[in-house]
Amino acid sequence: MKAKKFLALALAAALALSVAGCSVPGQTTPAASTPAASTPASSTPAASTPAASGEKVFRYAVSSEATSLDQQKTNSVGDNELVRSMQELLVRVVDGQIEPAGAESWEISPDGLTYTFHLRENKWSDGQPVVAGDYVYALQRLMDPATASPYSFIGEYIVNAREIEVGEKDPSELGATAPDDSTLVLQLVNPTAYFLSLLGSASQFTPCRKDYVEQYGETFAADGEKNVYSGPYKLVSSANQVYIFEPNEYFWNAEKVGFDRVEVNVIADSNTQVAMYNNGELDYLNVPTEQVPAYDDVDEAYMNGSEDWVYINAKSDNKVLGNSNFRLALNYALNRVTYNQLANNNVYEPWGNEVMPMVSGVKGFYGDEYTPNGYPLEGDAAKAQEYLQAAMSELGIASPSDITIQFTTSDNAGWKKIAEVIQEQWQTTLGIKVEIRQVTYSEIYSNVYPTHDFEVGYGGWSPDYPDPYTYLELFISDNVYNYSNYANAEFDELMKSTRTETDAQKRMDTLAKAEQILLDDGAVVPLQLRNQHYLLDDDIGGVNFYFSGFNIDWAYGYYK
Amino acid sequence: MAKYIAKRTVAAVVTLLALITIVFFLVRLMPGEPFTNPKLTPEIKANMIAYYGFDKPLPVQYVEYLKNLLHGDFGFSMKYTNRTVNDIIGETFPFSADLGIRALCMAVSIGLVLGIVAARNRGNGIDFFCVIVAILGTSIPDFIMGAILQYFFGIKWGLLPVALYKGIEYTILPATALAFYTIASVSRLMRASMLEVVQQDYIKTAKSKGLSDFRVTVKHQIRNAIMPVITLMGPMVASVLTGTFVVESIFAVPGMGKYYVDSVNNNDYSMILGMTVFYGAFLILCNLIVDILYGVVDPRIRIGKK
Repeated sequence: MKAKKFLALALAAALALSVAGCSVPGQTTPAASTPAASTPASSTPAASTPAASGEKVFRYAVSSEATSLDQQKTNSVGDNELVRSMQELLVRVVDGQIEPAGAESWEISPDGLTYTFHLRENKWSDGQPVVAGDYVYALQRLMDPATASPYSFIGEYIVNAREIEVGEKDPSELGATAPDDSTLVLQLVNPTAYFLSLLGSASQFTPCRKDYVEQYGETFAADGEKNVYSGPYKLVSSANQVYIFEPNEYFWNAEKVGFDRVEVNVIADSNTQVAMYNNGELDYLNVPTEQVPAYDDVDEAYMNGSEDWVYINAKSDNKVLGNSNFRLALNYALNRVTYNQLANNNVYEPWGNEVMPMVSGVKGFYGDEYTPNGYPLEGDAAKAQEYLQAAMSELGIASPSDITIQFTTSDNAGWKKIAEVIQEQWQTTLGIKVEIRQVTYSEIYSNVYPTHDFEVGYGGWSPDYPDPYTYLELFISDNVYNYSNYANAEFDELMKSTRTETDAQKRMDTLAKAEQILLDDGAVVPLQLRNQHYLLDDDIGGVNFYFSGFNIDWAYGYYK
Repeated sequence: MAKYIAKRTVAAVVTLLALITIVFFLVRLMPGEPFTNPKLTPEIKANMIAYYGFDKPLPVQYVEYLKNLLHGDFGFSMKYTNRTVNDIIGETFPFSADLGIRALCMAVSIGLVLGIVAARNRGNGIDFFCVIVAILGTSIPDFIMGAILQYFFGIKWGLLPVALYKGIEYTILPATALAFYTIASVSRLMRASMLEVVQQDYIKTAKSKGLSDFRVTVKHQIRNAIMPVITLMGPMVASVLTGTFVVESIFAVPGMGKYYVDSVNNNDYSMILGMTVFYGAFLILCNLIVDILYGVVDPRIRIGKK
């Protein structure tokens, strides 16, 4: 009987535990004493909506965790978005315009090389004043090889930054100085027309407190209390894959901060995000590409800055790729409209130029001021054949079927399909053979593209600053990102001249000319500009979207 | 018994050491690198390689890794640059374990009952019902099961939260989704084992001695039939408690599963190693406990090992 009793008891207990159970881990760990758990612990999801509790809470989801919330080591758009809400930038890009933020005003020297910022009175979340020295320290730390910031290249515009990065100079020699507590002077290597835009979007330029870095060392900013905040919000907790932000009461513009709390949940499964939004558990949703048609009338969209293309390795062992007529044939053979329907559910914009149209021109958008002659979106089979014939006679090839090119793509979701759609179009229109080679995503940007170990391959770029240069520099012959191995002396010369040109109109004309050279040469096969569709609750205002450095900006969001 | 446990423990430590060594060198053979940002320049990559000590010869790194491991230090993640692997395991394992224990309790209790009932009613309607449950359990993948539960209970009927893991009501759906497959395997195993035991001579003896049907089933049949289930429990506990990628992902449970799978995709060497060593150690521990449990449940093993 003993055995039976034991078994029966054990089973009953087990079942009871599995259903009723004791509290879940988040409720018992110390992290639970953070606001997440101390909010009215309502039992139904409906009761936890902001309306019921009277708190103004903004909730949304991100699909992956931040790699780091250390302001100098942020390494992705997602990291940058979070840090921009909790550290004060010198200036802020709001709806594409540069607005004063940590700096009240600034002067730029006539040669465009010296920026003098006058800081406003601002305080860290522990009540200490934010001084110019905090910005200087942050920039020195960014470039210091000992910090090993994955994004330190963004500071290379500053005098001596590059030398510090490679260990040739000491961080103290950086061209960033603080004559007094409220003045910051930055010396640039070249007059960089887009430097303010960069400061307005990149979190790597935000101030940093030396005492906190020294106290926490390598774990600096690993959790809310391991950093101190100069921006609109402070990070209360990042435990258990939820980022919880609360207003920073010491922030200079604290009365404009609209939410009582912001909860950013890490939810990897995009369908779960959709379900939670539909259930009223989130206030903002990035609609997954495959579900966009279902929200046709209710969603809105913005371009998130990602542009995709096919790299062509111009110095490949496959000689046809070095021939510009052949590269043009590839470009004209592609019907980008059909491609976009088949590969992307028609969610993106097909695109036949290299520079994204929303980057800044002289006064307005580059796309409004310049219209370089790109490739027809629907392709042109007759022209493609002409270019192919020209290429074949130049190279002495008898039949298109003698040409085989290898298309490299990664194991990322959707990449295989993109390769197959393009393969099909090139094979049908040109009669050449296209082979697909798949490598892992971790290889493609570490071993494959940087070593030019490919023939043609799918890739793209997201800008850090809104200027045509960010796209065009990828084709300068000695640029580290020139995966295409493209080399054109005229193009190099034009690009070089834009670096020192201080006349905005002349500079932009030159950039447009450079883009035309790329297009005439078939340096790359542009494919698409990515749209991000989203749903945002109607009662929320002040949230803005952008394409360079960050996508969503809720630092001054509020409930209407 | 003490000698037996000591022997098993030594074997466990050797196994673990072999595991660490193999994984340490295997991860370096994976294609690609941990630093994959397309914007990374060679100079910055060199700085990062130095930061993580990868510029030293591999055997030196290995010795250093073992030294740190003696202090229980798994090192810093390469993807989440300011977090240690210990920190991440410490934060995520409680969630995975909590979910796993709930699922396991549900699965084992329901599975055993179903198996026993099915065996007792062999061939009739009840058995048929149990077979159907088992077939559904093994054939419906957990990502479908999870999505179905989420849709009906979370969205359509609004009875339970769709996702996250913030209170008891949040645990029910993921635990059920996770338990479903295990219910099926436990019940099938228990049923087969019950039917095998029922033909043994000692059951006939017990019956002929005039023991009640109930006593025969409980005291002789179940106690003997449960052995294969206990064998299965060791690896099952280890795998269920250390996180499951799919269920955790669907229900946004902040557990270990996602980190383990992502670490491989990201080539995050220290995370892969840390997670594997942790999982391996846990699996070995579970097996050790099962070995000891055999002795408790089945006196014959205790005698045999002496």
